Amino acid sequence: MTQKNIETAVEVKNITKSYPGVTANDSVDFKVLKGEIHALVGENGAGKSTLVKILYGIEQPDSGEIFINDKSVEINKVDKAIELGIGMVHQEFHLVPSFTAAENIGLGQEPRNSRGFIDWDKLNSEVSNIAKKYGLDVDPKLRMIDASVGIQQRTEILKTLYRNANILILDEPTAVLTPQETDELFEVIRSLVDEGKTVIFITHKLREVMEISDRVTVMRDGKVQGVSDTKNTSPEELAKLMVGREVFMQVEKEKAKPTEKVLEVKNLWVHDARGLLAVKNFSLDVHKGEIVGIAGVDGNGQTELVEALSGLRPTSKGEVIFDGKNIESFSPRKRRRAGLAHVPEDRANTGLNLKLDIWENLVGTSYFRSPLSKGGIISMKNVVDHSNNLREKFDIRTPGVFVRTGSLSGGNQQKVVIARELSEDPLLTIASQPTRGVDIGNIEAIHKQLIEIRDSGKAVLLVSAELDEVMSVADRVAVIYEGEIVEWVNPKDVDQQQMGLYMAGIKD
Amino acid sequence: MEKFSFKDVLILFAGTIITIGIAWVLLTVTGFVPREIGKLFFEGAVVGQRNILNTLNIATPYILTSIATVVSFRVGMFNIGINGSMYIGGLYAAWAGYKFTSLGHIPHVSLCIAIAIITGSLWMLLPALLKVYAGVSEIISTIILNFVAVLFVSYMANGPFRADPIAPATPRILETAELKQYFPNSQFNSGFFIAVIIAFLTYFILKKTTFGYELRSGGDGLVGFYPSRYSSYLGIPSDRSAITGMLISGGLGGLAGGIEILGNARYFYQELLFNQGFDGILIAIVGKLEPIGGLIASLFWSALRNGGLFVDYKTEVSREIVVILLSILIFFVSAQKLVSSLERFKFVRKLDAFFTRKIK
Ligand SMILES: Nc1ncnc2c1ncn2[C@@H]1O[C@H](COP(=O)(O)OP(=O)(O)OP(=O)(O)O)[C@@H](O)[C@H]1O
Ligand SMILES: [Mg+2]
Repeated sequence: MTQKNIETAVEVKNITKSYPGVTANDSVDFKVLKGEIHALVGENGAGKSTLVKILYGIEQPDSGEIFINDKSVEINKVDKAIELGIGMVHQEFHLVPSFTAAENIGLGQEPRNSRGFIDWDKLNSEVSNIAKKYGLDVDPKLRMIDASVGIQQRTEILKTLYRNANILILDEPTAVLTPQETDELFEVIRSLVDEGKTVIFITHKLREVMEISDRVTVMRDGKVQGVSDTKNTSPEELAKLMVGREVFMQVEKEKAKPTEKVLEVKNLWVHDARGLLAVKNFSLDVHKGEIVGIAGVDGNGQTELVEALSGLRPTSKGEVIFDGKNIESFSPRKRRRAGLAHVPEDRANTGLNLKLDIWENLVGTSYFRSPLSKGGIISMKNVVDHSNNLREKFDIRTPGVFVRTGSLSGGNQQKVVIARELSEDPLLTIASQPTRGVDIGNIEAIHKQLIEIRDSGKAVLLVSAELDEVMSVADRVAVIYEGEIVEWVNPKDVDQQQMGLYMAGIKD
Repeated sequence: MEKFSFKDVLILFAGTIITIGIAWVLLTVTGFVPREIGKLFFEGAVVGQRNILNTLNIATPYILTSIATVVSFRVGMFNIGINGSMYIGGLYAAWAGYKFTSLGHIPHVSLCIAIAIITGSLWMLLPALLKVYAGVSEIISTIILNFVAVLFVSYMANGPFRADPIAPATPRILETAELKQYFPNSQFNSGFFIAVIIAFLTYFILKKTTFGYELRSGGDGLVGFYPSRYSSYLGIPSDRSAITGMLISGGLGGLAGGIEILGNARYFYQELLFNQGFDGILIAIVGKLEPIGGLIASLFWSALRNGGLFVDYKTEVSREIVVILLSILIFFVSAQKLVSSLERFKFVRKLDAFFTRKIK
């Protein structure tokens, strides 16, 4: 960033936006300088997504002003934002799965040839050129169904660049990325800034803020808490500003006291959706009173393993013994009844039905039980009481439980899943990416709850792409690579570097 | 579910005004006095015992078919075949109405209604099974079945069930099978009460019972089709929900047809024309896929229709104009993009927030 003439790319003044029952943005002032990487952080429901949606023309503020490149503008629709050179990559991707990367990128703006038809060759080569320029490695002809999450995200970024975006907004881009993919994304972001672009970057990971951003704005309860140069602040200070209290990023726990075996997986083989072998000859035991972790780069069979254990995916060979019973033939509901809870990695389509109200998602595993319902009739009073208890206990920020779940902020949606699954007092909780999209204060709380479950004599199987999470919460960790366990480790005895090797499938 | 908001009311209001404006122009251009036509229209819709009764009577099948749509859409199935179920239910209600000769009134009418529901429901079994076990889109299979239904009932009325040697029609149903008409000047009959009860019952079942929760868990909106992973993840057999939802939807369609026969037509004839099954889809969407919304929208729709019929009957204005106007109105009401674009206006956002708070 050149020091001599600092210009502002984005400035919002006094923006207020309310939804029924919440003020998502409360007199927000926010300024982003040209050519900087500006991190936007804050608790779940603080109003970060709302603020950037306003900048991108998806939401309209109740009051306030927006300046782009020092000119006062009204962004009343997305087209206007694009015209102003703003591009946004949402937390959930908006890609057509059956289209190729180039088709998605060009959608609606395809180059035409002289006869008015779409000029595919031109589109493909234009896409390749932009991709090359910014180091975004994407094959224009790759279909999105076959693309990894990282590639899909790069396609989304290319989509904005193809529309000549100068100001890029990335809403929690790293939540779904592996550490390697995150590093690659950061490379891309740096090359974008080198080309004179401006980047607004939302994240819950303070490590990333420190690593990539020039300045950082902290939000809480719809208000801006502070802005500072990244180099003048620390993760501890940011955490305190975000949450309003000290956050202990180190998990405290006693030594585990494992007792009898509750889950026994013997030589399990599972195929993935495309029919390829995803889990190979996998064996593992989980005991009551312990947290077993599964670490590994995403896409090494974790998804299929968890789905097989929870009954969502058939197994090909092998045995799953739960609480002394072979549960092979058990439906997901029967497994739940037997005491197995499951926090799925995909909250939007599996863990929740976003069209239902919050209470309806909260009682998904218990609605059929007294006192929530009697004789098939739901007791609204009991259901609402139950939901409100969970809402309080798990700090779900919402004006009420009769709100559509889809209108919750991302992290609060995750808390709905966690609340429902952990409140069942299950024998074994399979938690897959349980803190994805959750803010640091709540990560701390969820980790504490997992440890409480363990200390009460129950078992947890924790699957996470966050190495820090598995290593600090789990008592023993299996490193998985291409569907097989590479090594069992004791989190205390192994360093990051060694873990990196195991996760790459390299055994000593 | 999307919830009702002030924006919807505003759009309905604005849509009505614009529609009236268009009507004004159309009528003036075709040489009528709009004000008088408007008066007649209003009279036909809701003024006087007879017109009110007729409006309610017309509403009966719409209420049922819109609720049939609500049920299927909310389990995540796009049932376009309700009209087919109507024909089938109507045909077999007529058959049961003349076939069983030694029953009392209540048993006979109940039997006819049950048969209408069951046959209408079974008509939807095939598309439901095809969807669940073979992945055939229910949109396509139910559209096809609509044609099949028309041909089938026309064959039955002309062949096996034919009584009248001159016209292709079934015998008249027995008096014991009739739904009671209470007034000499209108065909209004007890079927209307059945429809209203069904509306409230559906609301209760969908919203307040575990059965309804299970039905909705995989769907509950216009988009987001079966199969949703949420229900299977919870262990709710989503296949069963999809099939059950389709059967209920078809059963309600059959009931609509049955009531048309038992309450109004009283026999089934080859040229009998049902289209309420299609209109029911529109009405359900206008009613935001809520059973009570469907009930209210059906009443509104029927009032407009009956007003139109009255104008048609009293003047030279062609009925098509009314259909055009109705379509324009529906167009406005269902234009979601228009609704959300109202967000742009500050007063709309303010009022929206205000009313939503009020309702809570
Ligand atoms: N469409 C909506 N309808 C009603 N309330 C909404 C809507 N969108 C957001 N909200 C509310 O506004 C508040 C701010 O939400 P926002 O999504 O901006 O949070 P966030 O800072 O992005 O949180 P997270 O880190 O969890 O993604 C929340 O309380 C949320 O429930
Ligand atoms: Mg967000």
